Amino acid sequence: MNAFTRKSQKRHSHIYASEERTAYLCLIPAIIGLTFITYLPLLAVLVLSLFNWSGLGSMKFIGINNYIKLFTTDPYMLDSIRVTIYFAILAVIGSMIYSLFIAMLLNRKIPARTFWRAVYYVPYVLPATAIYVGWSWLYESNFGLFNYLLTRVGLSKVMFIADSRYVIPSLALIAVWLSGNLIVIFLAGLQNVPRVYHEAAEIDGANGWQRFRNVTLPCMTPIIFYNLLMSLITNMQIVTPALALTNGGPGNSSRFITYLMYDRAFIGNKLGYASAVSFVFFILIAVFTGILFATSKNWIFYEGGDER
Amino acid sequence: MSFAKNGAMKSRKRKEKVINIISIVIIALVAAAVLFPIWWIFRTSLMSNAEIYKYPPAFFPSRWLLSNYREALKIFEFWKYFSNTMMIIVPAVIGGTLTATICGYAFARLRFRGKKLLFMLCVGSMLLPAMVTLIPLYIMWTRILGFQDSYMPLILPYLTGGGAFNIFLIRQFIMTVPRELDEAATIDGAGRFRILTRIIVPAIKPAMIVVGLFIFITLWNDLLQQMIYINSADKFTIALGLTNFRGQLKQDWSLTMCATCLSFAPGVIFYLIGQKYFVEGIVMTGLKN
Repeated sequence: MNAFTRKSQKRHSHIYASEERTAYLCLIPAIIGLTFITYLPLLAVLVLSLFNWSGLGSMKFIGINNYIKLFTTDPYMLDSIRVTIYFAILAVIGSMIYSLFIAMLLNRKIPARTFWRAVYYVPYVLPATAIYVGWSWLYESNFGLFNYLLTRVGLSKVMFIADSRYVIPSLALIAVWLSGNLIVIFLAGLQNVPRVYHEAAEIDGANGWQRFRNVTLPCMTPIIFYNLLMSLITNMQIVTPALALTNGGPGNSSRFITYLMYDRAFIGNKLGYASAVSFVFFILIAVFTGILFATSKNWIFYEGGDER
Repeated sequence: MSFAKNGAMKSRKRKEKVINIISIVIIALVAAAVLFPIWWIFRTSLMSNAEIYKYPPAFFPSRWLLSNYREALKIFEFWKYFSNTMMIIVPAVIGGTLTATICGYAFARLRFRGKKLLFMLCVGSMLLPAMVTLIPLYIMWTRILGFQDSYMPLILPYLTGGGAFNIFLIRQFIMTVPRELDEAATIDGAGRFRILTRIIVPAIKPAMIVVGLFIFITLWNDLLQQMIYINSADKFTIALGLTNFRGQLKQDWSLTMCATCLSFAPGVIFYLIGQKYFVEGIVMTGLKN
């Protein structure tokens, strides 16, 4: 801002004051939301986790006992962390590879591109609960579509979501199927890669793979980062299949940490204890997104240097 | 251009063409694989239970048993669930879009003290997973504010700007509207409210529709929050109704698939109508951030 505008701003300080008043008025909803829906509850999770409280009656301060109990005597905690991470890794990697691959194909000169793009997007607009109920039929142990396909190619039947070894990969496959939104974002990103780069590389004699490796991929890193982050946050919060289908089973094999939290809070009525689970979950996500952000500097390529 | 170079160009063009054909074949095959589960669910909903268990399974129902739907609707009260769901979604979408627009406008256009801090808090909250604060919010809505068996805890959060992500999206869009338009209107004597409604809103309408769709999809996909806040069967949403239906008729696959298809239907219909916005909206979010 130069001296002139600053001076004229001072002259119109009454305008500025009214502007400020309008701004605060406009932002009342956001301020209420950030205070009461976001940051205070986050603090409250931490505070509640230090109490023993059933939701009724008095609260009893017990320090970090909930956390000690979580990691020493709770039979589900460590399993639920493991299951959540296992699912998130499969779902994130699967959907990233799938959607980048499809987006690259769609980025070629092909007829009816918008039509195909719309088709890949369809699963994303279906309600989650119905998707899992529908897929539970496809995964059915005897008469389901997938078992029919397996027997057709000479393999033996698999119980999919009723088998502790297969339930997580089976649910991750649904997550990949749902990732049409990533395809759309990748495709838009690919269309933004300047053509001149490709042409220059082509003149230099780069083949298809080299062009992908050295032109497309670097230009796409900001979009890859965005998709990776969104996909990670979404998939770590998975809970609907456990609620609608598996109840965390068979055994503990789909007891996601979110489901454990739900179970402790709303079935077991241990709100303090469940808050401790929430806070561990918060730390878990923070660690993963933190790693993503920390490493991003090394692999994200911003066009025009370090302006961002 | 030399003759040899021309030949090389031609062979490369031919190679491009072959790759394009392979691409379209893969795209069509994978697209078919993506849609196939939906077809399979739909075809099951029209079959008798005897036909479902036949081996090998049929790809088309021998007779389209629409009566299955009549049967399913006796237990799965779709219209009630649908209107209940809309009673949550409609106010949330309208309220969320309006408040996100107003807040986004303030962040994009107005100068005020604490703007940077507030904006940082706003962006930071996008990374906070909603799941983490579930329990304190539950206590707040049901114990402190007394909303028992009510839609309010599902609707009210959207009246606070519809979430930081939406405010951010709107802000990014308003930033692309030339300021000169505002200034010209100010000279013509328009106040801020007039500028917002007459200039900003028409210019960012697509972004507002996208925000509305995002809120729609979030609520549409939710099961957990509806489960913990809604108790009575009279207030069941589609997601709750379907979960409940499945619990009752675990083995009746064709009726369960009827209920599933009915739950799919509104989403598919909205998608067919607003396809452009659904897809373009996702594009915007990906590139604006």
